[in-house]
Amino acid sequence: MSEAAVPRVTWTEDLIALVAGLLIFALALPNLAGLDLLGWAVTTSVWTDASHALGTASKTYAGLGGVPALLLTYLALLSVLSVAAAALKVPVARFALAFTALFAIAYASWVLGSFAHLAVVTPADQKKFGIEWSLKLTNEGGYIVALVVGLAIANFAPSLAEKLKDAVRPELYIKIAIVILGAFLAVTAAGKLNLASNLLLRGVAAIIEAYLIYWPVVYFISRKYFGFSREWSAPLASGISICGVAAAIATGGAIRARPVVPVLVSSLVVIFAVVEVLILPWIAQTFLADDPLVAGAWIGLAIKTDGAAVAAGGITDSLILAKAAANGVNYQPGWILATTATVKVFIDIFIGIWAFILGTIWTNYITPKPEGERARAREIWQRFPKFILGFVATFAITLLLALYGPPDVTQKLAPAIGEANVFRVIFFLLTFFSIGLLSNFKKLWQEGFAKLVAVYLVSLFGFVIWVGFVISWIFFHGVLPPTVS
Amino acid sequence: MTDKILQDELAKSGVEPLLPIEKKLIGWSLGLGLFFLAILGTISRIG
Repeated sequence: MSEAAVPRVTWTEDLIALVAGLLIFALALPNLAGLDLLGWAVTTSVWTDASHALGTASKTYAGLGGVPALLLTYLALLSVLSVAAAALKVPVARFALAFTALFAIAYASWVLGSFAHLAVVTPADQKKFGIEWSLKLTNEGGYIVALVVGLAIANFAPSLAEKLKDAVRPELYIKIAIVILGAFLAVTAAGKLNLASNLLLRGVAAIIEAYLIYWPVVYFISRKYFGFSREWSAPLASGISICGVAAAIATGGAIRARPVVPVLVSSLVVIFAVVEVLILPWIAQTFLADDPLVAGAWIGLAIKTDGAAVAAGGITDSLILAKAAANGVNYQPGWILATTATVKVFIDIFIGIWAFILGTIWTNYITPKPEGERARAREIWQRFPKFILGFVATFAITLLLALYGPPDVTQKLAPAIGEANVFRVIFFLLTFFSIGLLSNFKKLWQEGFAKLVAVYLVSLFGFVIWVGFVISWIFFHGVLPPTVS
Repeated sequence: MTDKILQDELAKSGVEPLLPIEKKLIGWSLGLGLFFLAILGTISRIG
């Protein structure tokens, strides 16, 4: 076969996330047959003595020790991601250096977040650790520490942020995490299928909300009251309504906008996502602790980038569970996160179709293009986020194993997927730190964002969070996660 | 992009009135959205 006949794969972050996520999932599965391939991965426990902070994911590798486990985890991630960098045509040596610093700072933030005075929630745990006070951030407060450290670097040491930029890839990290998350959510869902099916219904409603309610309203406000052109308004409406960066870029491409438009809109979305992550989980904990799934769905609709939304869902999960635990109610972990992730994944699925619809309208009616430049149906597949296939695959395989596997397999499923989940947590962490590093508030303000910010503020606080809350309340009010003894 | 360029962009964009096709897109999207949400909400309540 001639070289020209061989189909060439164009590697994108999306495709790499699919492969990397499936690889980690595949390495977790032999554990079902007693072959523990991922148990050496590092985990962190709440600590008062730093020497006890690190450990291994599995007792099989407990003899390894925490620091060697951390080094092994770093080397494994460095190897896989260096291959990814090469596929993306990023200089590998430069990537490796940047990733080393990124991982070191991010994991140090995570360890700091597990310090008992930051993480401990219940009075019983305070007694156990012999401490008088705690900020009660839960052990997932490490995400917030990483985000704040990233923000501090981006805003006060921009030259360091610039040096790390080759490894600052929040979309890649969160997509890998979401592929792994599919398996984790399946283990959760298998325990209560009727609640899981309710989540799917909510996912469909989220699609309608994002594309058919939020989008036209934001577009109208942007055009009518803020005077933005069609070229600006469409990507802006997609960025604010759908799922941030990916939607703004897909829409910009579909309507043949100049590249600067979706890039600028994306920057705005990322900044707002950071602000929302720092605020909304605590609002949810304060006002929606009695309606945990309403909180999860609301977070998924209010925060517009996948990374920030799903990660904020994880924080909300921890915060609300902690508050409930302090009141003597122990919800099963993962359901709030599952709700947020379902909402985001369902919304993501339709980006390609929506971009095609807009592209067809724009290239045929608004700014008519010659036949060859009009929107084509194959763009639907080109814009389809492929990592979602990984999420669906890990979810389906794990759910089938949980429901129909032999008893000795189903018993080992939760610990096996738990080992893959260790990597999911690390990729969440890298996402948080990366988002912080990308958020140089000062720089963006200098670029004259005021009017774009105004549209975002009016849309978000004027109706997105309220409509999201009302519809989430309609679907989930009174529906509670299962409790554990 | 500098303040000046963004300001120029915004000044240019003020002269684009809503076209009938845009009004149709907004109207149909909202109408369909509310219709489907009502159906899903009903299914959710019944279920």
